[in-house]
Amino acid sequence: MASGGDEKLSRAILEAPRAVTAATPRLQLLAELATITTTAPWAFSRTNLSRAHTAGLSDEDVLHAIALSAYFGHLNRIADAVGVPLDYDVHLAPPATEPTVPALPPAPATRVGRPALELGLRPDTQRAIAEWRDYAFKRDEPLTRRQRTFIARCVASWLGDGSISPPDDMTGNPLDGAVRELARTVTLAPWQLGPQCFAALRETGFSDAALFDVCATASIAGMISRLEVALVSLAS
Amino acid sequence: MTVGHLEITTYDAATGELRAVYDRMRERPLPPAYRPSHGGVPGIITAHSLDPQLIPRVFGCSTTLNGAGPLSWPERELVNALTSRLNQCLY
Repeated sequence: MASGGDEKLSRAILEAPRAVTAATPRLQLLAELATITTTAPWAFSRTNLSRAHTAGLSDEDVLHAIALSAYFGHLNRIADAVGVPLDYDVHLAPPATEPTVPALPPAPATRVGRPALELGLRPDTQRAIAEWRDYAFKRDEPLTRRQRTFIARCVASWLGDGSISPPDDMTGNPLDGAVRELARTVTLAPWQLGPQCFAALRETGFSDAALFDVCATASIAGMISRLEVALVSLAS
Repeated sequence: MTVGHLEITTYDAATGELRAVYDRMRERPLPPAYRPSHGGVPGIITAHSLDPQLIPRVFGCSTTLNGAGPLSWPERELVNALTSRLNQCLY
């Protein structure tokens, strides 16, 4: 956490992030939006949107919070996958990562339908995500397009994203199985990422670039599906 | 150079396309709180060094979310910090 800001709230985030009490209803609802987006985007309902409006948040505010949280989740996943050391000054140091914390639960059901809020309300963000998605899924190295699609479908199924077909190529191919396991950890338990998660794929000849590609592909797929599921669920 | 779980190329070690991407990233406006004391490229950018072409896509998206409203900077910080903590990420 960067220096500055509300120290009481900062300490609450570090010590009990799922039970943060903010000073104002607006901040409280922003914390709620970030929490649900990160941990269970399928759990949103129209009640959350109504409560956000009551707290003074506009549709644009809600969309910004959800998109920002989904995006920052990507940065977290890449930082954990690569193991990059923290390199800027922090006012309050976060606790050490606890890898025994269980993975997030997969979605209990698939979400389909019209989103309550359209990403088009943020055209620059919509354009940036589209460019990123095209780069991530429309190339053949180091991963093949089939592997990229496979990852996206697996991730969508774990997050309950009904806008993407479920994986239909579950033939028991060991390589697919290893790719799927790494993508699952990236999506549902990024704090468990470490050298042990890469071992199976390294044994098949995956380079660091290919391993990074699996993580980055799963991460952007997760960002897109998390955003989709959250916005659709807000209409339910 | 591998200092983490996967290879990371620092600014000083970068050449060619990656060095050019890093130079463009260094020209972006960045709040002082996020400028690393080592003066190089922030670690979260170098974490993407295995895929130089990905970097402008990822951080172009960041500009639209972290560099714009309607949420204020402290509100964006709240969302980012809480997301990071829930993901148990030190970054």
